[in-house]
Amino acid sequence: MERIEAKVNKVQAASTGKSRPATADAQSGISKAIRRLLLSEYFVLYLSLAYFLVLLPFIPRIATPQNLGNIFSNMWPLLAVAIGQTFVLIIAGIDLSQTSIMALVSVIGAAVMTSELNPVLFEKAPLWGILLSENGGPLAGSPLAMPVAVFVMLLVGAAIGWFNGMAVARLKMPPFMVTLVGMMFFSALAIYLVKSENIIHLPASYVEIGQGEIGFIPYSFFIVGVLAILAQLLLSRTVLGRWFYAIGTNTKAALVSGVPVIRVTIMAYVLSGLFAAVGSVFYSARLAAGRPTLGATLLLDVIGATVIGGTSLFGGKGKIIWTVFGVLFFVLLDNSLNLLNLSYFWVQIVKGSVILLAAAFDVVRTRLLAAT
Amino acid sequence: MKRLSAVLSLLLLVAFTAACAAPAAAPAAENEGTASTAADADARTICFAYQDLETEFWVAGHKAIVETLTGLGINVIERNANEDANKQLEQVKDCIAQSVDGIIIIPQDGESAVTIVGEANKADIPIGVFNRPPADDSNPALVIVADNEVIAQQAVEYMAEEAKTLGRKVTPLIMVGDLGDPNAVGRRQGFYNVIEANPDLFNEVIEVPTKWDGALALSNLEAAMQANPEVDFLFTSSDFMYPMIRSVLEPLNKWQVAGDENHVILGGLDGDSRACQLMRDGYVDATGVQDLFFEADTIMNAMLEAIDAGETQPNNWMDDPGFALTQANWEERAEDMWGCKLFAETGESLERSFGE
Repeated sequence: MERIEAKVNKVQAASTGKSRPATADAQSGISKAIRRLLLSEYFVLYLSLAYFLVLLPFIPRIATPQNLGNIFSNMWPLLAVAIGQTFVLIIAGIDLSQTSIMALVSVIGAAVMTSELNPVLFEKAPLWGILLSENGGPLAGSPLAMPVAVFVMLLVGAAIGWFNGMAVARLKMPPFMVTLVGMMFFSALAIYLVKSENIIHLPASYVEIGQGEIGFIPYSFFIVGVLAILAQLLLSRTVLGRWFYAIGTNTKAALVSGVPVIRVTIMAYVLSGLFAAVGSVFYSARLAAGRPTLGATLLLDVIGATVIGGTSLFGGKGKIIWTVFGVLFFVLLDNSLNLLNLSYFWVQIVKGSVILLAAAFDVVRTRLLAAT
Repeated sequence: MKRLSAVLSLLLLVAFTAACAAPAAAPAAENEGTASTAADADARTICFAYQDLETEFWVAGHKAIVETLTGLGINVIERNANEDANKQLEQVKDCIAQSVDGIIIIPQDGESAVTIVGEANKADIPIGVFNRPPADDSNPALVIVADNEVIAQQAVEYMAEEAKTLGRKVTPLIMVGDLGDPNAVGRRQGFYNVIEANPDLFNEVIEVPTKWDGALALSNLEAAMQANPEVDFLFTSSDFMYPMIRSVLEPLNKWQVAGDENHVILGGLDGDSRACQLMRDGYVDATGVQDLFFEADTIMNAMLEAIDAGETQPNNWMDDPGFALTQANWEERAEDMWGCKLFAETGESLERSFGE
């Protein structure tokens, strides 16, 4: 529309031999600025900043140190999971099984390192007598319990991602169906393994990962921050990263161009599972328990934050820094709605609406970019 | 230019954050000042964070707490975690950031309650736990909890006495709650105390897990009754599951009033209005009663006393002794059950007419 208007103005100016009036130039300038803003890859950051500043006079407590600390501590575990989702969205896939991966690895990791279990609760669990006993897991009390358990969690997360990737890439199954079934299967498996019970008595060093802080900055900031930088470098500075975008933009073209589509697709799902496991480490550590229902309500937040950041549901477009901004905005939104003392139902309605708007905005941006 | 403006924005955000965080060196003094001012102005704020309101017990408890507190002029901030322990932790931290004067929680389970209580302790804000106690008492809190084991045992003892009148062994079934919830553990234990005390009366126990979930309870009970149609003694760990029990027993012609040869000896625990109605009509033989209104009053009074006394980490586990309402003591105790009070408020009579 703007292009047509610009052409008409140009023709009119040429035919009349007069230049455009100053007000028209000003309008055009504002229009260009808005367009630049909308198309800017930092749009969500600007939006977060503006949202924060607009709310500040109405809810000053949003800027208290405790509240900013809450925003920061809530942001990083979610970001870890969302980074994994970014990889699969870029290749035009989706991973709905991330939250069930979180639940399963949380239970498995806790089973490895717990130091005590109540037989009344666990004696009917299938792992009882094999991996679990009244004295806890196989590494109960060992200094290696925490690092080995975390390694096992990451390994299991990556393995489930590999399984998903194989089903999508080798068997050509729809990602939506594969990961939806995965979500059901792995969350049921998590519940089955411990008969719905939470595993507590985890090592203090593990709990510290989720609850520890340096000043008001949680440990998760440093760990996820480094992982985010590495993920961004992988996408922007490596051949593998370019292959992800190529597959998401046009799989057939990527295949013809020599991209190892199957291996790269599997890799995207492996990364998704791996980052879901990283998120699980933080979430289960902050609750000091391995929980078979961990992350059960988190899927909307993960996909919502990633999409709000600007990663396209159609594939071929996305950056880790966008996901960082998306998670920031999403956590800020959630926090502010709580501070406004809105009921749970309104919070969910608003969050759902924002995600829908973000998806619609993605379509508009794509069209604008295509027209540029 | 784009990159420059973006970096500037980011720097602005970081600078703002740092500026806000700077006074954190003296947060205690600042918070005390705020709390004191609020108290002086008699504008106390209490955060009430609950896991969900899926049963009548929680709905009635929620109503009692919110209405009483607001009636006292106290500002109540409500948070519903939709059965997500992590969400509840974040919500309580949000409340702490708002410098509330006190926190009352209905936790998702005993394990997450320990962590949440710990967060409140760190912030020096008194916290009360309503009805569902923490898994351990490592972190100080005000806790009100019914003696679930004793109450369940009293109800099942009456059911066992009824079973003895049949002159044969009976097949017991228990619908177990979420065993991550100490209440469910206590109720299960109370049931087994009676079973173990009467080895000649009972066949092997059939356990039906429910996780406090209606749909799961229904499907698992259906399966259990298909496999064991001889069940004639059923204890539900919560009264909210009676509709599921009825929908399973009715097609089997086992949903009958006491005295009928197909009557399943039936009991539960909570004391809600549905249990009251079913006892009045003769379908249920006994129900363990948690004194909901006593529990709500007790936790609120303890919380307000702690706030007034300036206690930041009050530690007191308080018991609701509860009781068992049975067909034998119905005339004397029915009006003491909170569910019967709610039932009577709807205009319903508590007069029994079955078996006439």
